[in-house]
Amino acid sequence: MKISICSKKEGLDSLVDERFGRAENFTIIDMDTMVIETIKNSAKNEASGAGGEAVKLISKYNVDTAVVPHLGPKAEKAMEAFEIKTVSQEDYKTVGEILEAYKSGKLKEIIKKKGLTRL
Amino acid sequence: MKIAVLSGKGGTGKTTVTSNFAVNIKNSLSLDSDVEEPNLHIFMDMKNSASEPVHTLYPSIDKELCNLCGKCGDFCNYNAIIPAKNQVIIFSESCHDCGGCKLVCPNGAITYKKREIGKIFKGRSKYNTELHYGLLNIGEMSGVKIIDQLKKYSNLDEKTIFIDSPPGTSCATVAAVEDVDYAIIVSEPTPFGVSDMKMVVEMLREMKTPFGLIINKAGLGDGEIYNYCEDENIEILGEIPFDKKIAELYADGKIFSDTLPEYQNFFSDIYKKIVEGRRSL
Repeated sequence: MKISICSKKEGLDSLVDERFGRAENFTIIDMDTMVIETIKNSAKNEASGAGGEAVKLISKYNVDTAVVPHLGPKAEKAMEAFEIKTVSQEDYKTVGEILEAYKSGKLKEIIKKKGLTRL
Repeated sequence: MKIAVLSGKGGTGKTTVTSNFAVNIKNSLSLDSDVEEPNLHIFMDMKNSASEPVHTLYPSIDKELCNLCGKCGDFCNYNAIIPAKNQVIIFSESCHDCGGCKLVCPNGAITYKKREIGKIFKGRSKYNTELHYGLLNIGEMSGVKIIDQLKKYSNLDEKTIFIDSPPGTSCATVAAVEDVDYAIIVSEPTPFGVSDMKMVVEMLREMKTPFGLIINKAGLGDGEIYNYCEDENIEILGEIPFDKKIAELYADGKIFSDTLPEYQNFFSDIYKKIVEGRRSL
């Protein structure tokens, strides 16, 4: 079971990134083995649709749950299509803080909003 | 003959200049290609316009044929098509209608559907000239298709066509200027006008489009524009003074040379100069 966290740099002390599609890196943690891997977000400089492309990227790393800031409508739709669960990163500042909060069940699942999206 | 009117900076007088040419050059057709915010039809007082839709295409997947190989998603530069776990998601508004995903699909699973992105309006102005303009729907990313269609309809060699272009130097401006015989830059002699005009000059030189400059609101700002034109060997076709009478007519939605006849020759003389310059090439 793997989770991904939007991060500025590498390691547990790294600050989280407040954007998903254009985040600097994704820190991917295998919750069974606690192996931590940081990958560059290759979707960061896409002309459009960075969110969808970033979802595709983390899906390649078999991420089951993505810890995310606010998600745009395209990223939201892509998470659903790639069957990745999303939880909110709240106001936690570092990757380590998020990991602890996730372990203790403090991060809430993001329920898809019904409202104005134009897809 | 097609003449584009452009500026770089917004609000320098593109529409003012276009409308004044339109009423002073007999039998001309004017096109407003600033499809995000057209307003030439307001100045020209357009009557009884007829509209037609402009469409763009976006992919649609036959799930029976698709094996989620991922080639379409890898090809698309705009992430408009993304093969996922058990489905392919399509963001139709991100699609630039290049047709590439269908070409790379090895299974023939992609066809295209059309959707409307805006309209073209055609009619006649109060001054009895022909006028067409495009209008992009709110939220759409690109008006290039509408501009291309506007220009395609108007491909009449015998007519003089004035194209009111969008500000800036992005895809929409390039589409407006593409294939014209001449471009008129309208700039104001302020540091902002000159700064944006430099980008337009660079764009036009790259496109190998001959051009000249009309300075609007002359008397404002500083002398940089004159030095720049001298250094760069840019022809100044004429200057419209920063004049309260002109500003008042503009604010009333009027075409100033229609009320101030001393300016009628100003526009027809510039036009003659451009035509003669073309002949001598």
